Amino acid sequence: MRQHKDTFYLKLLVAVIATMVAVAASCCLGSSGVTMRDVISYITGHRDELSASTVTIIGKIRIPRTITAALCGGALASVGCVMQGVFKNPMADPSVLGISSGSALGAAIAIVSGLNIVIIGQGFTGSYIGAVIGAAVTWMLVFTIARGSGEYDTSSTLLAGIAISSIMSALITVLMTLHMESMERVYLWMLGTFSGSTVTKTYVLFFVVAVCFPLLVWVSPRIDVLKLGREAAASLGVSQSRTLGLVLCLSSVLLAFCVANSGIIGFVGLIIPHIVTFFRVYKARQKLIICFFTGAVFMVVCDCVAKTVVAPGEMAIGAVTSLIGAPYFLWLLISTRITSRRRGIRV
Amino acid sequence: MSDLIVKDISVSYGPKIVVDSFSHTFEEGKIHAVMGPNGCGKTTLIKKIVEQYSGKGQIAYVPQETFGNIALSVYDVVGLGRYDKSRFFTGLTSNDKDLVGKAISDMELQGLESRIYDTLSGGEKQRTMIARALAQDTPWTILDEPSSSLDVRHTVLTMKILDRLCREEGKSFIVVLHDINTAASFADSFILMKDGKKVDASSSLTGEVLSSVFESHFEKVLTTDGKSFFYPSL
Repeated sequence: MRQHKDTFYLKLLVAVIATMVAVAASCCLGSSGVTMRDVISYITGHRDELSASTVTIIGKIRIPRTITAALCGGALASVGCVMQGVFKNPMADPSVLGISSGSALGAAIAIVSGLNIVIIGQGFTGSYIGAVIGAAVTWMLVFTIARGSGEYDTSSTLLAGIAISSIMSALITVLMTLHMESMERVYLWMLGTFSGSTVTKTYVLFFVVAVCFPLLVWVSPRIDVLKLGREAAASLGVSQSRTLGLVLCLSSVLLAFCVANSGIIGFVGLIIPHIVTFFRVYKARQKLIICFFTGAVFMVVCDCVAKTVVAPGEMAIGAVTSLIGAPYFLWLLISTRITSRRRGIRV
Repeated sequence: MSDLIVKDISVSYGPKIVVDSFSHTFEEGKIHAVMGPNGCGKTTLIKKIVEQYSGKGQIAYVPQETFGNIALSVYDVVGLGRYDKSRFFTGLTSNDKDLVGKAISDMELQGLESRIYDTLSGGEKQRTMIARALAQDTPWTILDEPSSSLDVRHTVLTMKILDRLCREEGKSFIVVLHDINTAASFADSFILMKDGKKVDASSSLTGEVLSSVFESHFEKVLTTDGKSFFYPSL
C-alpha cells in the first residue's frame, strides 16, 4: 500500500512539470512574430533588449492569456472532480449546478443591452460583470430551492441545478431570438475564448483560485467519507449537508469567475476527472490535486491550438477541447478495455 | 461509554409511523440482536440511534446497502474508518495503520488490499464495510444485516469476530439479523420489533415470542451440546 502514496508524488511531479512546460510553450506561441528568445529575455529580466511592442505583447497578452487558460482549466477540472464526487455520479460536470448557464445569461443580457463597453478599465467589460452577477443570482436560486427541505440533499440539489440550468439556457435562446442583431456576439461569447484576457482579470482569477482551491483540497477527504452513506459518515463526524454546502459554494465561485473570463468551456470538467482515474489516482484529495494540473495542461495545450491553427484568426476553445479531448479519452477507454481483457479483469 | 440508552424514539414518514416511541437500554459488553419482520422499522430505528450518537467517536455503523461508485482501494476504504482521528498533514499514524491492518486481517481481506472496491463481489464489499467499522475502534458498533451478502463461512467468521471483540475487548454490538439461528447462537440479548414497537427484549428466545412476531409457527430444537435452534414449520 505504501507504493500508492509514493506514486502519487511522482504523478504530481510529472503533472507540475507538464504544466510548466505547457505554460512556457504557450507563452512562445502566437500570431505575432515574438520568438522564444524574446520570451526568455523578458522572463530573465533583460527587457531593455526588447522593443516596446514585444514587451507589451509578452507582458500584456501572452502571459495573462496563458495563465488565465491554465487557471480556468485547473479550476474547471477541479470543480468537475468534486461534483462527480459529491453527487456520486460519473456524469456530473460543472454545468449541472446551473451556474454556467446563469453566468451566460448575465453576460448575454449585458451584450444585448449594449452594456458591453469597458467599464472599469483593464478590460472589465459589461459581459464580465454580467456573468459574475448572473452566477451569483443563479447560485442563490439553486441553493434556496435545494435547501427547501432544511438540509442539502444530493439528489434535490442536482435536480434543482439541472432545472435552473435549462431555464437559464431557454432564456438565453429567447433573448437571442428577440435581439437577432446581437446574436452573433452572444453566440461567440458563449463558445469561449481566452483572447480577452487582461493583466487585471488574470490577477482577479488568480486570487479567486488561490482562495477557493486550497479550501476545496482541505474539504475533499470528506467526499470519500460521504461515499460510505450519510449515517456512516455522520458517525465519523462528517455532515453530508454541511460538506455539500461548502463544496458547492466554493465550486460556484470558481465557476463564476471562469465563465466570466472565458465563456462556457464544456467537456474539461466532465472528462479530466475520468482521465485522471486512468492514471490510477483514486483518493479524493489526490485526485483533486492531479485534476487541477491535468486540467491546466489540457486547457493551455488546447488554447495553443486555438490561437495557432487558423492564425491570425482564432478557433473557439470549446470546440478545440472537445476535438482534442474526446478522441484521447476514447483511446484511453478502448486501450484500457483491451489491456484489462488481456489480463482477464473486468473494468 | 457505558450502556447505550435510547429514549422514546419516534419516526414517521408522512402519516405512516415507522418507529413508535422506542425506548431501550442496551447494556454494554454484549451482542444485541434486533429482529423483526420486513418493514417493522429496524433500519429506521438504528439509523436514528446512529444519528443521536454520531460525531462523538462512540458508534461505528455498517449500513445495510453496499454503496456503489466507490473507486477506492480496499485499504483506503478501511482507512476511512480512521478519518475522524487523522490529521490533515500527517495522515494515518502508525496506531491507525495497526487498527486498519487488524481489521483487514480480521475480516480475511488480506490480498485484496489494493483491489478497487467497485470491482469486489457483494460479500467482499460487505466484509470491507465491516472492516471499516471495526477500524473505527469505537465502544459500540451497529451493523444492519451484516450477513445479507455473506456465505456461511464468512457469516460465522463475522459473528465469531464480534463475539471475540465483545469478550476480549469489552466492545458492544447491536446487530440487525434476519437469520434467527445466527442470532440465537451468537447474541446475548434479543430485541424483537413489530410495527415500529418493541415487542419483547430478553436474554433468550422462545418459540412463542418468535411465532407471534413473525406470524409463523416456530419449533424449538435442542442440540446435543445444549444450544437451541428454531425452525419455522409451514
